[in-house]
Amino acid sequence: MLRLVAKRLLGTASRDIPSRPLQILPRLYHENVIDHYNNPRNVGSFDKNDPNVGTGLVGAPACGDVMKLQIKIDEESGKIVDACFKTFGCGSAIASSSVATEWVKGKSMDEVLTIKNTEIAKHLSLPPVKLHCSMLAEDAIKAAVKDAEAKRAKMNATLKGADVKSG
Amino acid sequence: MASSSRLPLLRRISKLLKAPPPAPLRSSRRSLALRFLLPQAPTPNVSPWSFASSRSFCSGPLNLPQDSQGPAPIDYRSVLSEDEFHGLANSTIHDLQEKLEEYGDVVELDGFDVDYGNEVLTLKLGALGTYVMNKQTPNRQIWLSSPISGPSRFDWDHNAQAWVYRRTKANLLKLLGSELEQLCGRRIQ
Repeated sequence: MLRLVAKRLLGTASRDIPSRPLQILPRLYHENVIDHYNNPRNVGSFDKNDPNVGTGLVGAPACGDVMKLQIKIDEESGKIVDACFKTFGCGSAIASSSVATEWVKGKSMDEVLTIKNTEIAKHLSLPPVKLHCSMLAEDAIKAAVKDAEAKRAKMNATLKGADVKSG
Repeated sequence: MASSSRLPLLRRISKLLKAPPPAPLRSSRRSLALRFLLPQAPTPNVSPWSFASSRSFCSGPLNLPQDSQGPAPIDYRSVLSEDEFHGLANSTIHDLQEKLEEYGDVVELDGFDVDYGNEVLTLKLGALGTYVMNKQTPNRQIWLSSPISGPSRFDWDHNAQAWVYRRTKANLLKLLGSELEQLCGRRIQ
C-alpha cells in the first residue's frame, strides 16, 4: 500500500513539482487530498453584492490559513445551487474547503449547518495536526450561511417597507 | 500554498483601519483583531473578541451563532501581550509534558510516546490516537487536536486563570484529564 501511494506521489511529483527530492515519509497526503489539490473543484468568486450570494471569510494570514467560501442561494427554494471557494493555506486547507463546496451544493441552508469538521477530516484522512483546517472549513460554511440569511432578512425587510409605502 | 487572494485581503485590512466605525462595538472588535495582525500595543478594556460573520479575521473560536445562543464571552480585562502569552503557554505546555511523561510510566500502554519539538507537544497513545498541542501566537491561543474531541482552540481566561475553549467552555487541563482517563483507564494528576 505504501509503495502504491509512493508511486502515485512520484507520478504527481514529476509532473507538478520538478526538482523536489522525494522522501518516503511515514505521513503522506491521502489520495483524496492530493486529488482536491490537483483538481480543485469550484475555485472562483461570485459577486458578493449579489443578494443571493452568501460569503464566508474566515481565518487570517498570520494564523496560517484564510478561506473564502461563497454560496449561491436559489430565491424560491432557499437551497444552495452553487458554491465556490478561494483558500490561502496548506494542501489540507485547500482540500477541506474544496470538499466543503462540493458538499453544500444542492442542500438547504439548514442542512449544511450540520456538516461537521469531523466528517470532512474523515473523508480526507487528515492527520491530527491538520484537523484545524477542517474546522476552519466548517466555520466558513457557517459564515457563508449566516451572511446569506442576513441578506435575505434585509431584503425581506426592505420589501415589506416598500409594500407599506406603496399600499 | 495557493495564495489566490492575499493582496486584496491586505488591502481590505488597510481599508478597515481607515474606515470610520459603523457601530462602536463592532469596530472595537475588528480593530482588536487587526492589532493582533500588526505590531502594535494592544489596548486594555476591550470587549471580548467574538467576531461577527464574514468580516472576521483571526478565526480562533469563531462561532457565529455564538452571539445569540452560544457560551458567554470570556471576560478579558487586559489582552495578553506576546511575552505574557509565551510565558503562560510555555509553562502550561512544559508542565503537561512532565505530567504526561510520568503518566506514561504509570500507564502501560503500547506505543505511548511524549515528544516535544519545535514548540509542538505530541502525545502518541499507540492505537488509541494522537494528541497534538501547539501555540498559536497571533491568536494568543493554545491549539489542541484530540482523537476524541477533534480540534479545539483555547484562550487564556484571566479570571479563571485557565485555558478555556470558548465554544464549549471546556478547560484545557480538565478536558485532557477526562479524555485520558477515558482512553487509558487511569486518572492523571
